[in-house]
Amino acid sequence: MSARNSTAGGADRAGGEQAEDVLVEDNHCSSMSLPSPMTPSSVAGMSLSMEMTRKRKGSMDNQDTKSASIPDADMEDDQNGTDGEDQHVKIKCFREPHSQIEKRRRDKMNTLIDKLSAMIPTCNPMSRKLDKLTVLRMAVQHLKSLKGSGGSFSEASYKPSFLPDEELKHLVLKAADGFLFVVGCDRGKIVFVSESVTKILNYSRAELIGQSLFDYIHPKDMGKVKEQLSASELYPRERLIDAKTGLQVQADLPVGAARLCSGARRSFFCRMKYNKISVKVEKEFQASTSKKKESQKYCTVHCTGYMRSWPTSHLGEEGEGEADKQDSSHFSCLVAVGRVHSHSSPQVNGEVQVKPTVFITRYAMDGKFTFVDQRATTILGYLPQELLGTSCYEYFHQDDLPHLADRHRKVLRCKEKIETSCYKFKTKHGSFVTLQSQWFSFVNPWTKDVEYIVSTNTVISHDHSQTSRSGNKSEQSSNSKTSEEDGKKSLPIIPGIVAMPGNMIYAGSIGTQIANELLDFNRMNSSPSSGNVSPFSLPQDKCPQTHNQISNNVPNGEATDMEIPGKSSSEDEPQGAAFSGGESLMEENSQLDLDSVVGPGLSGLSNDEAAMAVIMSLLETDTNLGEAVDFEEMHWSL
Amino acid sequence: MTADKEKRRAISREAARRRRRVESDVFGDLSRLLPLQPSVRTHLDKPSVIRLALSYIRIHKVLKGNAGTKAEASHTVKHGQGMESGEERREYGGGRGEKEKETEDLEASEETDMYLRTLEGFLMVLSTEGDMIFLSDNVCKYMGLTQTELMGHNIFEFTHPCDHEEIRNNLRLSAGEVWCGGKRDFVMRIKSALTHRGRSANLKSATWKVLHCQGRAKVCVAPSSVSCLLLTCQTLPLSHTLLSTHTFTSQHSMDMRFTYCEQRVTLLLGYSPEELLGRSIYGLCHTLDTSCLTKNHLNLCFKSQSVSGQYRMLVKGGGYVWVESHSAVIPGGRPRPGAHQPLCILCVTYVLSGVEEPFLQLSLDQTAHRYWS
Repeated sequence: MSARNSTAGGADRAGGEQAEDVLVEDNHCSSMSLPSPMTPSSVAGMSLSMEMTRKRKGSMDNQDTKSASIPDADMEDDQNGTDGEDQHVKIKCFREPHSQIEKRRRDKMNTLIDKLSAMIPTCNPMSRKLDKLTVLRMAVQHLKSLKGSGGSFSEASYKPSFLPDEELKHLVLKAADGFLFVVGCDRGKIVFVSESVTKILNYSRAELIGQSLFDYIHPKDMGKVKEQLSASELYPRERLIDAKTGLQVQADLPVGAARLCSGARRSFFCRMKYNKISVKVEKEFQASTSKKKESQKYCTVHCTGYMRSWPTSHLGEEGEGEADKQDSSHFSCLVAVGRVHSHSSPQVNGEVQVKPTVFITRYAMDGKFTFVDQRATTILGYLPQELLGTSCYEYFHQDDLPHLADRHRKVLRCKEKIETSCYKFKTKHGSFVTLQSQWFSFVNPWTKDVEYIVSTNTVISHDHSQTSRSGNKSEQSSNSKTSEEDGKKSLPIIPGIVAMPGNMIYAGSIGTQIANELLDFNRMNSSPSSGNVSPFSLPQDKCPQTHNQISNNVPNGEATDMEIPGKSSSEDEPQGAAFSGGESLMEENSQLDLDSVVGPGLSGLSNDEAAMAVIMSLLETDTNLGEAVDFEEMHWSL
Repeated sequence: MTADKEKRRAISREAARRRRRVESDVFGDLSRLLPLQPSVRTHLDKPSVIRLALSYIRIHKVLKGNAGTKAEASHTVKHGQGMESGEERREYGGGRGEKEKETEDLEASEETDMYLRTLEGFLMVLSTEGDMIFLSDNVCKYMGLTQTELMGHNIFEFTHPCDHEEIRNNLRLSAGEVWCGGKRDFVMRIKSALTHRGRSANLKSATWKVLHCQGRAKVCVAPSSVSCLLLTCQTLPLSHTLLSTHTFTSQHSMDMRFTYCEQRVTLLLGYSPEELLGRSIYGLCHTLDTSCLTKNHLNLCFKSQSVSGQYRMLVKGGGYVWVESHSAVIPGGRPRPGAHQPLCILCVTYVLSGVEEPFLQLSLDQTAHRYWS
């Protein structure tokens, strides 16, 4: 059987001998290696190896890689590196799983044939499974019919391609959400713009061609765009990044020459006008007069491209206007693609019609405000700077202190989002608003240090009078008898907090004590030596909260409430694409960190080892900075 | 008996040979219908022929799902009335001269070439299972493998295993996206058989290349059509791009603390480079952008390059600016024996807007300057 199979293998090629590269089939994170095609020492050996390579190349199926990898692994180990050595050993290895190779080859072919028959309309109605030859014949018919309906495959005109170029263009533009444009360097005249600009800026091609690009750029960005286009002496410094060192360099070339040399890359962002008026009502459009800033909308466009220089003799009418000013033989321009980023946060022009009900704050570990979102002002009455640096406990209602302190403790110890119950927060005017918050400790993805606590605060109801109770969800603290704000009654007893004289001081110290608790706890429980110290942590830090290292191994002192995560309030959440198994940061479960991405194994490693693992993975990646990076020559001047 | 057996064997061998010849002929017919260069065609093996035929059929299905009827007039496209691409397609039909068609095709071809070249990327059409239904032919510039070698294969065979989960998530089309094609924007690592000099080498020595993929999901509801992902895949070059005055470069340790910052930052954000050293970027940005920054950071840790999207950096003393950062991890310093090579993050930050809300102090640091500037 084997003899026949090998000749069958030899005859099985559709064309002549092949010299294609072997494609790698490897599911491991480690570096890839596969033998290059062997120099044949026997027909059997050759055809078998060819079998294997062809199989890999031609008919890889996702499902099959697992089964394929097992027998192959043996071969790979044996064949690593050397060509031609140990042919005997290789042949022996081939012979053993040969029937498996054959089976796989047949299965692959069958799968392909099945896929093919599923795609061909004439095959589908057949109830019984068609044989290979019939499917192939029907495929031929089908392709003929496809070609007939209008492909531009006439080999006579230009090179055949899988898609007529018009179709390709549409696909590209659809995928890219961008438009191509060519502007002259001298005056920014739009020489060419693709049709897709209509979808993006809502101006028609006709409106734009021949106009100056500067008419469509935000006034504050004009300087930026001019700089990218021009060779003016106003911007004598060439700033480029050197791929080898990552540092900026001054180009040695004379001013102007480098900038305009063909092929020099450009990449910049600018705000471009967006036409709100329907394109059909063209007479309303006036390029220079409609510059009322209130009504003019802009969108941020990322332009990437390169400089190009054409001899004016090759140009039609577009070049003439420029030819007078320019060097008589060349017309310089920028060829670029403009794209609007899908996830760009809409720039709100301060038109907040509805009173906001959510605002975000950041706390240091001890509960002091380090960031207050401007929406807080409408709700709380304070400007952010009035709150910054003060402790949140100074504003919490007495009755709520116990449960909030408890939540504070919890949030510092666990990675999950913690929901508070409703609580009252003192506004500037002395009244209270009822809030409900979601807290979580934001942890640096690399070091796992807590950077700060993020609090998403939702207003439950406004301006409660001093005597009203909290909302339905609030816990009834056993200590709270009255909610009179000004009564200096006996202070509620919060477990673990030492009462100190004075209401305000007491309130402020709650947070500090909770934070200190954690420090002590960690000191007692921290794992030895390099475990907790990040390779990059600096001893002196401007943000006090980051002195603490929260080890992942610290067991929770209290049972952690797995609260139902609240709604996400971030408007800027990226849509659609989740990231490596972890959801976006504002959702439940794990914070994005090394653990959830790389796997649970990493959390058991010390930071050094974790760093090593990541580094190994990074070094395999060819960071495409645009040029070859020679690691040996790299020097660092920091 | 043996003679009979022999005879039967001979007959069956002959029959098998005939079958194989017939099969080879049909394969030959099929391959000739594929739009390939003759030199490429002769080197294809049978599974490849089927693979490419499948791609051909599928891509046409994708396009058909796009089109209106064949009677769609072409003038609507010419004036670019901003219609949805479903109506933009036009079919080649009768009634238009060959020459005219050729000119248009040529223009389209040039425009597409220019577009892909300017973008520094290639086009990829993925099925919901991850099959690369179509790749533009400049893919060989980025992966070192030709369109013919790659089309029809599955993307999971060519991408880094640690990125598979993310790719799968992106392939999934949610119910909401059926009516308004969902946008996609992610970074992945793909195999590249290019040497540093840009030559195509054997995949044995392939490295991982980082690609930034952007595009949209395309859902075709018609029964004859397919759902797929249209993506442009770009490399992320940081070097040799002229930087404008509204950008600054910085370097960070792997935890995103500043280790170096260019002087230009003072003009743009108000901080001196010295003030920034040792500070974490998370403290310098608007809280609502925390997730954006985290994702960026993780992309850097695992894929070595990232594009951040737009976020807000706080300006010294008050207010903030919108920025976007393009970053990469690069090794820095000489590798010491026994120790791993230290890495650092290089960022190029583009400032997109002017200072917004300059009198609004949002973070504690912005108020601090009152006391110690």
